[in-house]
Parts: sequence; structure tokens; C-alpha cells
Amino acid sequence: MTKKLGLYLGCLMQTEQYNYEISIRNVIPEFDIELVDLENTSCCGAPIRSINMLMQMYLAARNIAICEEKGLDMYAPCPLGHLSLVETMNRLNSSRELREKIVEKLREKEGLEYKGDSRIFHTVDLLYDVIGLERIKERVEKPIKWRIACHYGCHTIRYTGAGRPDEAEHPSKMGKIIKAIGGETWNYSEKLNCCGGPLMVTHREAALTKTGEKIKAVKDRGFDAIAIVCPYGGRMLDARQDKAASTIGEKLGVPVFYLTQLIGLAIGKKPSELGLNLNLSPVDRLI
Amino acid sequence: MVDITDLFNMSNPDKDRQDELIRQLAILGIKNPSLCFQCAKCTSGCEAMKLLELQPHSIMASVKTGFIEEVVNSDLLWTCVGCYKCKERCPQEMSPVEVMFILKNWFVASGKSIPGDYQNLLQGILSRGYIQEPLEVLDKNNEKWSREKLGLPSLSQPKNMNGFVSALTELAAEKL
Repeated sequence: MTKKLGLYLGCLMQTEQYNYEISIRNVIPEFDIELVDLENTSCCGAPIRSINMLMQMYLAARNIAICEEKGLDMYAPCPLGHLSLVETMNRLNSSRELREKIVEKLREKEGLEYKGDSRIFHTVDLLYDVIGLERIKERVEKPIKWRIACHYGCHTIRYTGAGRPDEAEHPSKMGKIIKAIGGETWNYSEKLNCCGGPLMVTHREAALTKTGEKIKAVKDRGFDAIAIVCPYGGRMLDARQDKAASTIGEKLGVPVFYLTQLIGLAIGKKPSELGLNLNLSPVDRLI
Repeated sequence: MVDITDLFNMSNPDKDRQDELIRQLAILGIKNPSLCFQCAKCTSGCEAMKLLELQPHSIMASVKTGFIEEVVNSDLLWTCVGCYKCKERCPQEMSPVEVMFILKNWFVASGKSIPGDYQNLLQGILSRGYIQEPLEVLDKNNEKWSREKLGLPSLSQPKNMNGFVSALTELAAEKL
């Protein structure tokens, strides 16, 4: 039976990482998932946690309420958004004081009814736990035969207490998906490291240094490409790869794909249906 | 960058601020920083340690001894990447990352100018619901692509912008 999910995109996918969004819209429905666009949504709050955590929780809660009013569980493909929403749901469920403050404000200011009892999926658990490896394998027409380094991104796996799509210290779901579509992957020491993305706001050069070091590590370990599931990862590892390379004074040139793009290629989608023309890293070298 | 420990001799612990921090952490379900036993596991895995010299265990040491203001005004707070490794790995279930989030909130609430690009992100959210407007991105052939040209739906924005902004500005003035 088709499962219906509200698609909550947030800031980066709707304003620059269009390739993630395009590949999601064209690949996920192939596995009996209907994606319903949500109106009235906004930022999830994560980018301004440092400014004000009440504002962050309000922003998170309003997007949850919007999806719940449609009677739908949610698919939030951005790990920062997913964490902000899931964490806020936990916190409003465990602190009556917080819940009253936020819920009343939502009702009074925007007429939104927050319940906080829906489920929120990310790309990794949606593919691995809901769709499942078997159904992905069945659809593979053109196995991708590359050696792929998985970059989970910080918020896909941390912190455990919030309930994350995969394990914090030994995440394996992305790797199993890569193998299911014909790729090869293995663990590497820098697997859990940050892409530098959130540091761009205050420390640009340090951010790009982290990006460069991460890509260099992947290259040195003999991978052909990097798979990501985070739009901040896309912004740094793919779109800013050239800047990162010059920041650390190295030649990089490592293709970076969204996991949904790789699955799309494996099930026979055309690169144009996956937004691959928008990847700025040298993906053409492989496809 | 000012090292926090340099400032220790100049002031006394501030018990009120410390109690307020403990109260706010409790609301978020986070334990009292006094339980930190300074093993420095947070610092050993910190993503901002090598490049920017952030030492989460030093922040925790200051906080648990009551030197709050020194931390609030330290540039070091703003080097935190927010990767949550410190929270994930703390054997005492502390959360240096969230201690830092709260203290950054206090810095902002004190009316000092917000570091880096944060002011723009906030302004973006208050004016259109998102940190930035949909950009025209370039592909490898320098061709420009907008959401419309890519056949994507237009930006989904708050319908009642006045109510949205009013809620956020009211919350900005409230305590956690």
C-alpha cells in the first residue's frame, strides 16, 4: 500500500541544494511513497539555535503542526531539520512549561494546532527501515560499481538521546544501501567527521579547511566518490569543493553524490531526472 | 582570542547566573554541569579543537565553578560547530554543546552585536521564513537555474507573516 508522507524541505534544499530535492521527488515515489507538498512551512530553527532556542523550538513546532494538521507523518530529508524537529517534539513532550509556552503561541499567533505525536523520517531511515534493502535491490537495473565513501553528516547520527536515523558511533545503513545498489564501501577513520558547514557563519576559512581535510581523507583512502544525505554536506563537499581545495592547497576533484541520486542512477533514471547537472564536483567522470 | 582561564583572577563566581543556567538546562532535560568530572573526552573529539582551540571541558570547568560571564563573553563559544560529539560521548551525560548554545543565547540577549552572519540568517527568517531567498544556482557550464526553471514548486512560506514574526519577536524577549 502506498504510504503518504508530508515533504518538509526547509531552507537549504529550497534555496540552493536543488539536486537533493529533485532526486528525492523522482526517486522516493518509485518505492510506493507518495510525497505531499506542505504549504505555510518555514525554517526549522536549527540555524538560529545559537541566537535563541525558544525561537528555534517555535519554528520546529510550527512545521510539525502544519504536517500534523494534514494527518500525515513527515519526511524531513535535511538532518539538521530532522534533528531540530524530533528534538523539539521530545522536549515539548517532557516539559509541560515549554509545551504550554510554545503551543499557546502557535495557536494565538498562527492558528496552528500542535499535537506532537506524529513520526518524522529522514532519508536514511526511510530508505533502510521503511522501504528496505530488498525492495531497493529488486529495482536495480544498472548497478553502480564505484567505491563510495559514506558521509553521514553530524546530525544524521547524533545525538542518540534524540532518536536518530542511524547509530552514532557505528552507522551502517548508508553503507548497506550502497552495497544493495552494487557499490563498494568500507569504514574509514574520518567517517564521522564534520563537513565544516555550520562554521561558515562565523569562521569561513576554518570551515573550508575542515571540508578540504574530509575530502582529502576520502581521496587518500582510495574511494571513487562520496555519498551524502545532508544539504549542508552538499553545499560544502560538492558546491564548495574547489574553494576547500585551494584553502588547504591540495588538488581534490572527488565526485560527490546525494544517496538519492545514486539510487536513481541504479534504478535507471536519467541524470537530468536526478539534478546531476547541478552537482559541481566532477560526477561526469563516473556516470 | 581571549583564553577563559586568564580572566579567572579578576572576578568572583556568580551563583545567580549559575543557578539560572542550571534551571534552563533542566528545562531542556540536561543535567547539572557540576557532575562533570573533567575527563576531557569532549575536548578529545571536539571538531573545533584543532583549528580553533575550543576546549569544551574548559568551558564546563568555568561553568561549574560559577564563572559564567567570562564564558558568555568569550569568542570561543562561537567556534562550536554544533556537531554534538561532546554530548554523545560524555560519560556523565553532560552537554557542553548545549551549555554553549544557552550561553550564546545570553550573549545575544544582552544586546551585544551578533557575531558572523547570524544577523542575516535571522533577518532572512523574519522577512521570508527562511535563512536566504531561493538562489539562482550555476551548473558546470555556468548556466543559471532557478526553482521555476527546474520545474520545482515555489517556496512554501508562512501564510500569516505578521503572526509568524510577532510570535518570534515575543519569544526573543522571553526566558527559556
